Amino acid sequence: MTTLATSPSKPSPMTAPAATGKKFWTRVLWLLWAACLGLGAIGIYQRIAYGHMPAGYGSYVPWGLWIAIYFHGVGIAGGAFAVASLGYILNLQGFRHPAALRAAIVLAFASMIPALIAVWLDLGHMARATNILTSPSFTSMMAFNAWMYNAFMLIAAVCWLISYRRRSSGWLRPLLCLGVLIAVVFPSQSGAFFGVVDAKPYWHSALMPIMFLASAITAGAAMLLLIRGIIGIDSPAGLGDSDPSVFTVALSRLRKVVLAGLVVYFLLEFAEFSIVMWNTQTHAPALDLILLGPYWWVFWIVHLCIGGVLPLALLLTQRPRLWIVAGLLVAVTFISTRLNVLVPGQAVGEIKGLQEAFSHPRLSYTYHATTMEYLVGLFLVGVGMTIYFVGRRISKLVAARAA
Amino acid sequence: MTTTAQSEAPDSECMTRREMVKAGILVGAGVAAAGGAAVVARRAGAAADPTGAGTVRHLTVLNNVKPKHDEDVLLRMQRDLVKAMAKPVEQRRWIMVIDTRKCVGCHACTIACIAENHLPPGVVYRPVVTEEFGEFPNVQLRFTPRPCMQCDSPPCVPVCPVHATWKRPDGIVAIDYDKCIGCRYCIAACPYGARTSDFGEQYTDDVAKGCPEGRDAAMVGPKAPWMDQPSHEYGKAWIRKDHQSPMGNARKCHFCLHRLEVGQLPQCSTTCIGRANYFGDANDPDSLVTELITKNNVQTLLPHKGTKPRVFYIV
Repeated sequence: MTTLATSPSKPSPMTAPAATGKKFWTRVLWLLWAACLGLGAIGIYQRIAYGHMPAGYGSYVPWGLWIAIYFHGVGIAGGAFAVASLGYILNLQGFRHPAALRAAIVLAFASMIPALIAVWLDLGHMARATNILTSPSFTSMMAFNAWMYNAFMLIAAVCWLISYRRRSSGWLRPLLCLGVLIAVVFPSQSGAFFGVVDAKPYWHSALMPIMFLASAITAGAAMLLLIRGIIGIDSPAGLGDSDPSVFTVALSRLRKVVLAGLVVYFLLEFAEFSIVMWNTQTHAPALDLILLGPYWWVFWIVHLCIGGVLPLALLLTQRPRLWIVAGLLVAVTFISTRLNVLVPGQAVGEIKGLQEAFSHPRLSYTYHATTMEYLVGLFLVGVGMTIYFVGRRISKLVAARAA
Repeated sequence: MTTTAQSEAPDSECMTRREMVKAGILVGAGVAAAGGAAVVARRAGAAADPTGAGTVRHLTVLNNVKPKHDEDVLLRMQRDLVKAMAKPVEQRRWIMVIDTRKCVGCHACTIACIAENHLPPGVVYRPVVTEEFGEFPNVQLRFTPRPCMQCDSPPCVPVCPVHATWKRPDGIVAIDYDKCIGCRYCIAACPYGARTSDFGEQYTDDVAKGCPEGRDAAMVGPKAPWMDQPSHEYGKAWIRKDHQSPMGNARKCHFCLHRLEVGQLPQCSTTCIGRANYFGDANDPDSLVTELITKNNVQTLLPHKGTKPRVFYIV
């Protein structure tokens, strides 16, 4: 990518991503896609052939890596949709073109569907997954979430369709308002999903829904920044990301959202941790695991350094290319926020000595993701990339036909 | 706004009043629908279990054995059980009382439960927690058997997304294995760790590995028909094969509901070598369990969780 101007005080406008460096990024993405699906296929085979046997979770830590991927995926979907839709509704430069909205909708689907596949693979009875829609119990946050995801995908699909109309019927923005509401609600519900569980003191906090919402908005905006920075949006010449100044404004706005999101998330995290640090009787064992346990590096290195300090530093520069790198770092490493809620929360039992009362690897408070779980995780990334590229191609074709 | 910005915006006006009204209606309807669903779900009654005269059981157990003043507590509990089963299900209130002063930590109840319910590896309904206090030579051991607490306010029930677990009229928290999707939310929600997931393991999974061929080969598959013997939880026959339920389900102690229906005490009570495990109907003022919880200092596990357990410990 070429920098067109180098003003120290203002962000330097960038050329459209499609214009330069396209071949390089295309090759990288194809390679990544093939590796994810190829290796992931091994994991999927193991899951189908051997069921849950090769997985590392058990009865005392019943949820593992896939559930973290699930919550991260739905968070990105909600966050990306909410940010892009608000930009469209508020008629902000860089977001007001329907192509920008469609890119976010395709991204939302590309995050949401692999996330739902992740939780589907985690079920003990995958064939009964539809029971959650046909006979839901809305006293459960899980049933509520399932319905919200479906409502969200329906609304997003309708918005995508009617965004092609030259003069929209007047329903696009109202529908987007409803979509934004749902996109904000279901990441919050993800936090409530844990918050309502009184059995796990670390989860049982009113801050959980707000933290999940903050991380969803942050990761969603970061993924949007990454996608628009590398791939851009497909729009006719002279519009959208093919205009350098519009493109830079779009990235600049996303950068501000990610920056604000990072600050808010770390503030909330500090608030949560500070209660524990100065009141060690509550859920200190879980915090000890996060900060000093065998996976201390997930918090200190992955989350705090690579997912927090480094992106903050990159986003504070005036170089859009570095913002894109920051977007990548935040979008990927924010899965650690899910893991750090999920695993330590489960890894502390309420009844002392229960683990020793009956010995079995699945009756243990320690959890290590297995190779099969990681491989399936790669497969889900590959599926997400496939959905994005296919969705983008369809968007392009429909746009050409509509024109 | 620059020319570029204008050209970027084919539909550049902000929301019109008409659009705002539509948005308000849509958002309002969405909030109302979600709120309504939550309120209706909270107010909905218990699962439609059969109640009334149809649930009365006139059992003939111990009809020919005359009561004695100093008879074994097992016989007394058996009589209490027969008496309770002669009432409609909603008038029974099953509880378990465990005398920790008598428990010697033999784990016979754990093993008996596994045998009764055909539990696979990694699934346990009733482990016995051992705690050690003090320093040598002043050491004390405490054994705490931990069945499902059959809470009156069970945290596992509302989190189930598909109505697969519920509180029965007699107080037992039941699971419908045919409905359970295996999401394990109930497992996470139980503070007692009383639910375990059946991941489909078999005791014979690795049994043939390294075994000699021929006459001494390990007997698995069709050669081992005992593996297909069903368990009878909740009064149905469950065979663990081909990933059929209860494989893939959450599982837990159910006070041996299938045994109660035919006049048998829970297997753990029957097996307890120290007569430390009592079971009966707390709605019967003359039952042994009522006598035990009113005359002794009893505690429940994790009372601060507000789950109102039905398992009482004499300490």
